[in-house]
Amino acid sequence: MDLSVRDLHVTYRTRTGGVPAVRGVSFDLTWGQSLGIAGESGCGKSTLGAALLRLLPKDATVTGEVLLNGEDVYAMTFGRLRAVRWTEFAIVFQGALHALNPVREIGWQIGEAIELHDRDLGRKEIRARISELLEQVGLPGRRATDYPHQLSGGQRQRVMIAMALACRPHLLIADEPTTALDVMVQAQVLELLQELRVQQQLGMIFITHDLSLLTYVCERIAVMYAGRIVEEGPSDEVFESPVHPYSAALSAAFPTIGDHSSRMAPTGLAGDPPDPTDLPSGCSFSPRCPRVEARCHEIDIELQDAGPRRRAACIHAAAGVEAGAET
Amino acid sequence: MTGVLLEVDDVHVQYRQHGIVARAVDGVSLDVGAGEVVALVGESGCGKTTLARSIMGLAKPVSGKVRFTGEVVGGRRLRAYRRKVQMIFQDPTGALNPRHTIYEAVAEGLRVHRIRGDEPALVAAALARCGLRPPERFFTRYPHEVSGGQRQRVVIAGAMALDPQLLVADEPVASLDASVRGEILKLLRDLVDQQGLGLLVITHDLGLAWNIADRIAVMYLGRIVELGPCEQILEHPRHPYTKALLSVVPEAKQMEQQILVGETPDPKLIPAGCRFHPRCPLVQSGEAERLGVLGRCQTEDLGLVDAAQGHAVACHAVSAQQH
Repeated sequence: MDLSVRDLHVTYRTRTGGVPAVRGVSFDLTWGQSLGIAGESGCGKSTLGAALLRLLPKDATVTGEVLLNGEDVYAMTFGRLRAVRWTEFAIVFQGALHALNPVREIGWQIGEAIELHDRDLGRKEIRARISELLEQVGLPGRRATDYPHQLSGGQRQRVMIAMALACRPHLLIADEPTTALDVMVQAQVLELLQELRVQQQLGMIFITHDLSLLTYVCERIAVMYAGRIVEEGPSDEVFESPVHPYSAALSAAFPTIGDHSSRMAPTGLAGDPPDPTDLPSGCSFSPRCPRVEARCHEIDIELQDAGPRRRAACIHAAAGVEAGAET
Repeated sequence: MTGVLLEVDDVHVQYRQHGIVARAVDGVSLDVGAGEVVALVGESGCGKTTLARSIMGLAKPVSGKVRFTGEVVGGRRLRAYRRKVQMIFQDPTGALNPRHTIYEAVAEGLRVHRIRGDEPALVAAALARCGLRPPERFFTRYPHEVSGGQRQRVVIAGAMALDPQLLVADEPVASLDASVRGEILKLLRDLVDQQGLGLLVITHDLGLAWNIADRIAVMYLGRIVELGPCEQILEHPRHPYTKALLSVVPEAKQMEQQILVGETPDPKLIPAGCRFHPRCPLVQSGEAERLGVLGRCQTEDLGLVDAAQGHAVACHAVSAQQH
């Protein structure tokens, strides 16, 4: 596997004690594949994204392994880590307006990364690479001398993508890359990311709260709840026939237009996500779960097989496999 | 529907920037009845929020009228009007004062409008109606002590305390988590059904419209380009812009994707003719030319034309196909 995450835990230290943000996440990804991570605010998905690049602040304790081509990111020396960031994996953040330097030309900002990672390149070569990158993301090369405020929201996000691709990484982590964008511009950016993934055999991890969005950009989806993956599988299957009651609630929250059962019937999930410092006993979803049983409060269930290429952390998942086998 | 509450009649709102006029709302007519949910959908910059501001009396139209139960909004009647029409904003955290308790947040409107009566009882009733039960438990809490979904309920309770006839909600669930979103939408729909309120909900989210709206108005660059019953518009869209918008929404994936090129256009530079024609897939594919309307698309500005069953479309090609 090109990227392999093994039993990753992230705990933030605070004055009142540890706050577990990620509690034992494992998954694999091959370059050229895409994995979507869905979950609500506070479920640990952004912490997970940052943990993969070892970008977390000092007050976060990380255990477990992040293996990049077999090499543990957390065992690397700082020099090696610097070399690997941007050339092996890059990240695209949500707010492109805040991530770009307002007083520098965008070309300069893209070039900075190239210069730092490839010191042999001459000025001309860097300039050529900048226009090549801009053209790759659908912006004319002459826009390199523009400042961020001269670009629209969608164009800025394209610049962020160009920047992330500057050193030809193998893995792109996109954390809510289209949240601030309009639907039409969002569709344009998603299409661009898809094309780039196929062309350059990029591995992609797409983090968002919008499950329906993931079904159209990702091959596989992992749904996170309270710091854990609670369901994982091919995106269409997870969205259309979820096994875990939480994924079911998330997928029902995004109605299908034309499906008359959801017309005039918005569905939500009562209650709030648990406080990470005070997790319920047993399954952490049990207080909100519509299918809760007595044993749910006792067994803290781990991810287990729930059909071909699918896993879910629910006591009903195993029953689902049997029922699926019968039909 | 028991009657029309709000009538927007050919409203134009303009902003002036460095001497250039931006026609943010450029001739919009729309009405909202009691017990009805109307969704106004469109991309950012299409003028939907400006339209809401002009309905609230916050932006003055250069021409056209906003009427509420038959009377023109503005002047002396504005104060009474603002009690009957309440607005709900996107971000509940920003809409609540972090130093005020939830009780004060809800009671503030009652005090502003000098409503007599048992204040604690009115606040408690409003909170309970919005699903915050038992209401007394929330009185002394501060906004940061409750979840995002509960905060939005507090905002809605603040509006409902004044016993309004019409709610205008600007992206009421856009900043909320998916599982909470449905609960808030259910609350809004219940308020409409049980109390006979009118609700105008402004959103870019077509799934939301499918969930709660009776009618939909699709707005593009300051104008409504398609208006009609929700099912009609979402299942059988006629206007090419509505079709394109629907095709890129993940919630409706049976369609072939039609990604429009370019950015949302600028209200300072509204194209001549049909304002959508520079981005229109029908023009680009040559369909408009085949129908013999290309010339009109480029030169003739048009308004909504009734198609059938209250479904109105502003498109030369659609009109040509009908004849």
